[in-house]
Amino acid sequence: MENGVRRWLVNVSQWNPSEAQFASVISLFPVDEQTAITRYIKFEDKKRALVSRLLQYSLVHEVLGIPFDKIIIHRTAEGKPYLKNSIDFPFSNFNFNVSHHGDYVGIASEPLCLVGLDIVSITTPKQETELEFINNFSPYLTVLEWKNIAHAGSSEEMLAEFYRYWCLKEAFVKAIGAGLGYGLGRLEFHHTNWTGISAYIDGVESKKWRFSLSKLDEKHWVSIARGLPNKADELCCSNLSLPELGFTFRTLEELISNVN
Amino acid sequence: MASVTGTAISISARPSRRSLQVFNGLSVVKSVSFAGQRKSIPSIRSHPATSRFRVSCAAKPETLAKVCNIVKKQLALPENATVAGHSKFADLGADSLDTVEVVMGLEEAFGITVEEDSAQSIVTVQDAADLIEDLVCAKSA
Repeated sequence: MENGVRRWLVNVSQWNPSEAQFASVISLFPVDEQTAITRYIKFEDKKRALVSRLLQYSLVHEVLGIPFDKIIIHRTAEGKPYLKNSIDFPFSNFNFNVSHHGDYVGIASEPLCLVGLDIVSITTPKQETELEFINNFSPYLTVLEWKNIAHAGSSEEMLAEFYRYWCLKEAFVKAIGAGLGYGLGRLEFHHTNWTGISAYIDGVESKKWRFSLSKLDEKHWVSIARGLPNKADELCCSNLSLPELGFTFRTLEELISNVN
Repeated sequence: MASVTGTAISISARPSRRSLQVFNGLSVVKSVSFAGQRKSIPSIRSHPATSRFRVSCAAKPETLAKVCNIVKKQLALPENATVAGHSKFADLGADSLDTVEVVMGLEEAFGITVEEDSAQSIVTVQDAADLIEDLVCAKSA
């Protein structure tokens, strides 16, 4: 029985379309989406934007059965995509989140809980040292998090540690749809070797959120934040304590064939 | 490896707990209350996301050029990519990490601090340059 939960990933480095192929995939989408995709200047950004939409539409189609050409996805003022089509119970709180960075584009959906997803691609900074780079983000990390980063080991290990914290913070902010104006320095993550992750907001542990962080490969990590919306009922609370579903890798060919 | 506790992770002297801005014309929520005003489904804001802000100094050409340069370097754009006043940050592919770095880079290069309110309406590189010119003018006034 359809439960509305999905965790999909695509490795875009494995897709190298010709101009014609790219054009044909883009034409599957409504004009405003096409414009949004082609506005990007770098081809890699266009590619990721296209795959992101492909994931969104495929997921909605698969979970809710809405035909591709009837799917309407809008964005909040903060840029979070959401489904405009009205949906019936039990998916009335259906929401999803996408992320892309480096080689991966991912999507996560939930029927009841809020969900946020973030992928980070650990990139060695080009114009500054790892420490200088991390220092840019000092207002967004707490003292404890800084300490953990500082004690992580080599510069590379510190960089990776920073990226893991950032990944979790982003997933959370994206789940609540707050955009980047949220004070990330208010949020502190506690964990045991990156499992059993909990979030403290303004010093108080949040019981309404669950987090997971997993490694995709040497340079990529993915995090999921799941939480209770405000008028959370029994069903949603029990939903929250379900174990985190693992990611499924999808290929472009599969996703494109779903459209046709 | 040598302990880093003594060295260089300096907490920067910038004001702490600044909220991060998004340079792509999307308005941002300055604070999110957890006491529970947020609806369970994200919804469109009732007010427009971008509103023109007042600038008393429009950017000098050299300011704009400097901003374009910083942005282009930060976003590692290809040599042939044009970054001009009309370029929108969103289209240049700036993600959240890039955005922090661009703001910091601009603040350092110009010796200014960008406040939340002003940064909210920045959509294009020109907007950023105009804002910076404004702050630089105000600083020397």
